[in-house]
Amino acid sequence: MLTVALQQGINGLVLGSLYVLVALGLTLIYGVLVQINFAHADIVTLGAFSAYFFTHAFGGGYLPSIAVALLVGAALGFLINAAVFAPLRERGNELLPLIATIGVSVMLENVMLAWFGPIPYAFDSPYSERVIRFGGMFFTAQSVLIIAVSAAAIGLLYAFMKFTFLGKALRAVAQDRETAGLMGINPNRVIMLTFVIASALAGMGGAMLGPVLVLTPFAGASVIVKAFAIVIIGGFGNVEGTIIAGLIVGLIESYTTQVLGPGLIDIVVFALLLLMLAVRPTGLIAERREENV
Amino acid sequence: MRILPVARLFFVSVLLAAAGSSTALAADMIKIGALFPMSGPGSYFGVQDKQGVELALEALNKSGTKFEIQYEDSACSPLPATQAAKRLIDQYKPDVVIGEECSDATLAVMPVLAQAKVPLLNAGSSSIKITEPGNPWTFRIMPNEVMQGMDIATNAYKRLNAKSAVLLYENTNAGIGNAKVFGDTFTKLGGTILADIGFGRDVNDFTSIATRVTGAGKIDVIPTYTLEGQGLKITQALAQAGVTKGGGGGAIQLGTIWLPFGFEQKAGKAAVGYIRIVQFDPTDQRDQVKNFIQAFKTKYSQDPTHLNAHAYDQIMLIADVVKRGAKDAQSIRDGLAATKDFSGVTGSVAFDEHNQNIKMDTIHYMETLPDLSWKALGWN
Repeated sequence: MLTVALQQGINGLVLGSLYVLVALGLTLIYGVLVQINFAHADIVTLGAFSAYFFTHAFGGGYLPSIAVALLVGAALGFLINAAVFAPLRERGNELLPLIATIGVSVMLENVMLAWFGPIPYAFDSPYSERVIRFGGMFFTAQSVLIIAVSAAAIGLLYAFMKFTFLGKALRAVAQDRETAGLMGINPNRVIMLTFVIASALAGMGGAMLGPVLVLTPFAGASVIVKAFAIVIIGGFGNVEGTIIAGLIVGLIESYTTQVLGPGLIDIVVFALLLLMLAVRPTGLIAERREENV
Repeated sequence: MRILPVARLFFVSVLLAAAGSSTALAADMIKIGALFPMSGPGSYFGVQDKQGVELALEALNKSGTKFEIQYEDSACSPLPATQAAKRLIDQYKPDVVIGEECSDATLAVMPVLAQAKVPLLNAGSSSIKITEPGNPWTFRIMPNEVMQGMDIATNAYKRLNAKSAVLLYENTNAGIGNAKVFGDTFTKLGGTILADIGFGRDVNDFTSIATRVTGAGKIDVIPTYTLEGQGLKITQALAQAGVTKGGGGGAIQLGTIWLPFGFEQKAGKAAVGYIRIVQFDPTDQRDQVKNFIQAFKTKYSQDPTHLNAHAYDQIMLIADVVKRGAKDAQSIRDGLAATKDFSGVTGSVAFDEHNQNIKMDTIHYMETLPDLSWKALGWN
């Protein structure tokens, strides 16, 4: 029984790490713009597809495909922000960019449906087939890679935000866009940077999720609802809160599967979400709400 | 502009004549509505169904009565399926409708079509509720979940000598129903159900479920009821957990006709030892099967799947009914109900009083070999 409990703990951490990779981008954008990006799910999916085609169609390695997905995600973030979100933000209406994210999401989903078709792709990572067993437990090399990549992404993001000028500028814009502008920071460039980083994380998350998910044009949409829940539980736009919430949700899913059954996962996760909204509406880390990122 | 009374009379006469000729034309044209999932996780059904339908129509429309088709995306889900059925009825006015694949969607459209008095010919939904207690307007050519479940459970117990099972299924009418029939039959025969695990279609990572399965004890068989995407991930997760033969374990996974051909190639070595039923046996030596395979390969440059085949059979059965004199919705319904000896590429069709095909030769057992090819087990 202890073995199964430990195994489910490992499963939960792996799943939670995947959720964190997806939710981090969402939380960054929310932290800076106070805007929900519904198109984030589709950038995750496009990241997964770019990694898939890099490895399966062009014969590339899986590890380089993660970098490819990251670059594709970053490029998409840049393009979508420049072509759609930035012009709408300039009109001063907060609702327009939000609606636009839904429009971009539906459009990307249907473009992928037209390009890639609806039939599930089998994204084989060489690391998924390497199963490591010890003490009655098992995990794949892919699981180790997921945790390592997530930890590296979190570490690099933290270092970027804490120690670089651009990171500090991003935090300043998150705190007070107008004052940051008066201090010589160009808010539009910082917002662009936020979209690029968030989308790069989404693309990379897609490459990590590809071998785990059922890869179809709707793949990202299946995890994005959980990612939204994680962002809310963690504390709207709070990076540390999002990391903790992501891991908690992953663990809850694993242990719910073991104890109550997988059919109840959504009930438990979203009950937690409602509980958080009722008891602690600012999320897990509330005291730093005024400086979100 | 003022129209003279004589000219007006002439104009009306021309219009009436045109309407009359249109009615005459309509008698030679059978309008088929198709409710297929074209989006969402079940969309692989729609893609392959359409291929089978187009091949059949191409052959039929070369002579005699013409068949016309209109596709609607029913998305394997009740609400979009109902809307799609209403669109078909209101705008296209079909003589007969084929589809859906998913039981929940089929159950949702049945009352819409019954109210409109348009027959529904189904080939891919297994829920018993579709034909029990009976609906005069719905016909099903595949064995229902009770026929399939009892057959699989009996074969698992008697031929595979299985004594313990874990049930894995999606939480839908078909998933729950199929698993229940297997469980009831298997238990009645003397087997034990070690775990009964249902899950939503939004579950992506099956490692936790595989972990739970590892703790269930010694498992002989794992009947699994899912669509392709989740089926792939379950098979791989069970192999990674060392439960199934594909991962070095002892359990045999049992699958349904929901999975398309090519599933094994996608799942890889994890699928070795997998036994599943399919609705079409490509090794069948009947001439009509050989001709179908040849025609399909010529048109699409690929081998047909059971989804291609059962969609093809749906159209061919309608053509057979039309050949027997049917020309509108009511007579097609009556013709379908009277079908007792139709021979299709998937097998034969004879409807009982509930419009359920009673023939079991439409399902075929296949085992996945180490090179991922199939061995026909010949159990039916």
